[in-house]
Amino acid sequence: MHRLTAPAAIGLLAAIVFRVAALSPIAVFGEDWPQFRGPNASGIAADSDNPPVEFSTEQNVAWSVDLGRGVACPIVSEGRVFATTMTDDSKFAVLSFDAATGKPLWKREFETGELPEITPPNEHASSTPATDGETVFVHFSTIGLIALDADDGSVRWEHPLPMPFYLMGWGAANSPIVYRDMVIFNLDDDLNPYLIALDKQTGSIRWETPRPDMLGGYAVPVLCTAGGRTDVVVAGTGKLKGYDPETGRELWTCNSLLRTIMTSPVVVGDRIYLASQSYGDTNRVLKFALLQWRDTDQDGKLAKSELESAFAEKFEKGDANKDGFLVDEEIDAAFQSPSNMVGGGNIIQSIKGGGNGDVTQSHMAWNLENKAPSNISSPLAYDGRLLLVKKGGISAAFDLEDGSTIWPKKRLRNFGNYYASPIAAGGRIYIPGENGRIIVLQAGPSLDVLAKNDVGDSIVATPAIAENRLYVRTLHKLYCFAEDAQ
Amino acid sequence: MTRIPLAASPLATIAALLLVAGGTNAAERVTVVVGPQTPPIERYAAEELAGQFEKLFDDVAVAVRDSVPADAKHLVLIGSPDTNPAVREAVGADWPQLSHQGLAVQNVAGADTPTLVVGGGSPVATLWAAYELGHQLGIRYLFRGDIFPMEKRALELTGHDFVMEPELRVRTWRTVNDFAIGPESWGVDEHRAFLRQLAKMKFNRVMLSVYPWHPFVTYEFGGVQKETALLWFGNRYRVDGETVGKKVFRGAKLFENPDFAGLNTPQEMAAAGVKHLSGLIDAAHTLGMSVGISISPLEFPREFQAVLPGSKGGRGLNQLVVVPAGDQGPADETLRGLVAAKVSAYVNTYPNMDRLYLTLPEFPEWDQHAAEAIEILKEHGAPADLSVEGLVATASQRNLIASGARGEQAIRGNLVGLAFLQKLFEDKSLLRRPDGKPLGLVITAVDPALFPVLDRVVPPGAETLNFVDYTARRVVENRKLLAAVPAGDVGSQLILTLADDNVGVLPQSASQSLGELTSDLKRLGWQGFSTRYWVPAELDPSVYFLSRAAWVRDLTPRDAQTELWMTATGNRAAAERLWIAWEHLEQATNLIDEHNLGFTFPVPGLLMKHYQPTPIPDWWQEVTDLYTEYMIELYRAQGSIDGGAKPVLFYYAKRSEYVLEYLAAVKAVREAALAKEKGETEQAIEHLEVALESTYNCINTLSDIAQDQSDRGLIAVLNEYAYRPLLAEYEKLADAE
Repeated sequence: MHRLTAPAAIGLLAAIVFRVAALSPIAVFGEDWPQFRGPNASGIAADSDNPPVEFSTEQNVAWSVDLGRGVACPIVSEGRVFATTMTDDSKFAVLSFDAATGKPLWKREFETGELPEITPPNEHASSTPATDGETVFVHFSTIGLIALDADDGSVRWEHPLPMPFYLMGWGAANSPIVYRDMVIFNLDDDLNPYLIALDKQTGSIRWETPRPDMLGGYAVPVLCTAGGRTDVVVAGTGKLKGYDPETGRELWTCNSLLRTIMTSPVVVGDRIYLASQSYGDTNRVLKFALLQWRDTDQDGKLAKSELESAFAEKFEKGDANKDGFLVDEEIDAAFQSPSNMVGGGNIIQSIKGGGNGDVTQSHMAWNLENKAPSNISSPLAYDGRLLLVKKGGISAAFDLEDGSTIWPKKRLRNFGNYYASPIAAGGRIYIPGENGRIIVLQAGPSLDVLAKNDVGDSIVATPAIAENRLYVRTLHKLYCFAEDAQ
Repeated sequence: MTRIPLAASPLATIAALLLVAGGTNAAERVTVVVGPQTPPIERYAAEELAGQFEKLFDDVAVAVRDSVPADAKHLVLIGSPDTNPAVREAVGADWPQLSHQGLAVQNVAGADTPTLVVGGGSPVATLWAAYELGHQLGIRYLFRGDIFPMEKRALELTGHDFVMEPELRVRTWRTVNDFAIGPESWGVDEHRAFLRQLAKMKFNRVMLSVYPWHPFVTYEFGGVQKETALLWFGNRYRVDGETVGKKVFRGAKLFENPDFAGLNTPQEMAAAGVKHLSGLIDAAHTLGMSVGISISPLEFPREFQAVLPGSKGGRGLNQLVVVPAGDQGPADETLRGLVAAKVSAYVNTYPNMDRLYLTLPEFPEWDQHAAEAIEILKEHGAPADLSVEGLVATASQRNLIASGARGEQAIRGNLVGLAFLQKLFEDKSLLRRPDGKPLGLVITAVDPALFPVLDRVVPPGAETLNFVDYTARRVVENRKLLAAVPAGDVGSQLILTLADDNVGVLPQSASQSLGELTSDLKRLGWQGFSTRYWVPAELDPSVYFLSRAAWVRDLTPRDAQTELWMTATGNRAAAERLWIAWEHLEQATNLIDEHNLGFTFPVPGLLMKHYQPTPIPDWWQEVTDLYTEYMIELYRAQGSIDGGAKPVLFYYAKRSEYVLEYLAAVKAVREAALAKEKGETEQAIEHLEVALESTYNCINTLSDIAQDQSDRGLIAVLNEYAYRPLLAEYEKLADAE
């Protein structure tokens, strides 16, 4: 089955279509999970009705393979699983496996050259591929975007992109999506943030939209159809923006976000939901972070030598009095847009899609503050509720419609970090902890833990679900779990 | 040798063309020459130096030869006139007078080929000379490896003429010890790697500190065979589904020393123990270090209570030992037989060890024999005016951990122990190795009240290894005691605590106190020191300081750290931040030491001992603030550099995060106890959840950067003594609610 392209099909229509197809005797392909967090980054496998509840390294393992280190999510398309890894210090690889058996289908390696600094838990193999079933698209920091034939891994094209730079040395972890005949890719770094669309057949640029008012961030673009119009929606520093997917033109902005956005929004109908936490409070703009961590000699000002040389131009721009230092407001002026001096905090928001211009006031459906969302794990909108999970195994759920609290902060009794995002299928919600435990909840109005499953290795990548199989990319391995697997 | 001007040489044109064309044969050739009959350590020195040159210099090709090749371009001659004819020919009478430990690096004046001599007064001193040259060229030696200068540079071997003699001639590294967080968890392979680094820092002795329950020796006395063969006081550390950070155990079901993995019976353990300790001795000898085994001669596994009537269970974890008590006095024949059997077992099991350290009991139980003992000591040379009463008065009034009643018991028992040893070693054969060579003897932990007469209370010829108090800060407070030792009359070494097990499992530093103490040792003419520590993690700056201060008279900790971090980071501001970081760390260490010695002692009750409804002391916040500043400075420095020390700074920084999580857990546990006391169960559960989360995070953080068996041992200990009991209490309360 080919992936549905219209976001409106995700939800009720999608479920109907998938179920009809599943009942059809001529159905050839199964359910797909074609990009980061599956269809439209929703985290929902609508066609799976019996994904595994209990599993471990020894239970319900359909297959497993040693992959090597990586934190990119696996994707599934037309009976194949695609994953990435580093095969040595300077080799990046994309791999394909038979989704049912784990049989290796192909592996393509790329020389990476000298790798940039990254901060754990990030890894160099961090970008989740996207596919239309024919081509697999993936980003790598030192290479750019790569297109591979999904059947044999041959390189269809490479499109070099500027190497991203991050003031705090986080490293790249941005993932493309496929929309119609385009690959759309957002890369918000601290140097040269942009949104770009490439022709998926040729790799040529269809449009490119700079995002100069953004800082480093990791939100994956999502599609939102409202009022008969489909927009590419991207969350970033201080702003959620809608773009015309055909031209890249900015259509609207909702100026209600925080400085650093690492989570991705989700879309249900014409509503966009976002939950995020950003370091510090609303008054702590970038300069506080930079003076805390980058002012090595602690003289209260930034010298050029205290920053990576890539930022020299930005430094010059900010150094208004040309004294060779960035002091006070000069620091923010160098890196943050004067119209977007936003600070930290935490938010959970529901924003209506389909606006024009500044929709901050007009399209905000509801906004919750100080409800402790995660800074990395994205929310799950499922079964009428918005589920959040954050460090410490703290969960919370809110009504999608009005934001009312369904359950306040409640412990999953599985401590530690949560980098991967929750996903769902068949009325079950899967919450992967960094400690290798995947908590399975029964979807519903209360916190109902069905199982705590230990997969024995760190989990940073969000798992995938397709055809009732759960694909878990741990730090070192790829597992496929299924009920009654031998 | 005739030099051909490069420009005039036809080969020069070809060479230049090759260079322009990216030719591959442009490397500077350096020949490192050892003598044809060179000792193995000198050959090792040559190979080490060759490896270092290739990492330090651009485009060099270094070869080690046992004669001078005719076409040499740069020569490095290894050894002394006694061990290498090429050195003899090059320097002849110009070779300086060196002690056994002295080292020299000299450029040979007037040689046709640029020639550098790297040698010493002994083969191991030659090895140290090679490492000292490496240091002078910018290499910084740390526990886990070497940090080379950020940039390679052109070959330059001139300007490095120096002669060095140590200021402190005994530089002992203690290992094995007790507790899973320390080197008792390391296998021989891990030890070997550490020892190689210690050799680079010119440590010259290794002390294997072992305990009566350890599996390193077997002996029999009076029909009783030693059966006890345990590590870590017999404690075991599970790894299961509840274990936080279990990835570091790689699927094992238990945390174990790799040399003892899967072994259970005393016989299996003992066989592995002998292999383990022998391996350590061989590894140290290969690097030119001498090795001693440190035992507690007057403590025995409990099975020997049957042959030692009246003996008592000794203090300590799990009550594994018995000690002399009751009628047993300094002249007890049965006791003498048992101790002789034990000593002989060590001497015969490890025939190539170089010295035996005998440690007097910390908590003696035979103090009633002090009067008899002092008479025996006087018979063996102690001053006639020495009195039990005078010594007791001194011991009970002092400001040491062993003061008051504990001090009185300590000095009395110490007198009995010393008297016993004087009589024991009337039999000189006990201290003879199987090959007939004499074994060195070091008496450890003579009570400080006896320091003024130290030379007259230990067996003739014995050296002393002296303990004043647990932490270096406490020793500094009592530094006047050091001046009382007649260092000119008895070999005297001081135990320098780098990180104390009572202060516990948190990162510690004692650099500035070590600066004070090493200064005293040099001024007072002591032989040197022996280290004391468990987790090596943050000790790099302290050990670096000791390694340099032992050779440089007026070096301060600050000088040493600047020298270390400037090279390791290539960034003056970063080096300054790191000095500030370690100042914060030492202040935090001192604060814990002052307020609650034993705050994180790695034993059962580690965390839950704070689960009591008493007010949160103010100093907890102070120590949290200090560790926070420490962390911030580490990340500042780490973020400012590329390469060099960046990975090691990240390791330290993550460990500082662990501390903050741990301190948050301690506070939350106390808050939970206070809430529970008030009957506020819901709040108590919430505090316990915070404590669990913090404990989880602290262990998980450690697991992200665990590098060695001490790191893994710490994770095992925190799981067993912090996380599991906390989880049990939480579930008990939550389920009841």
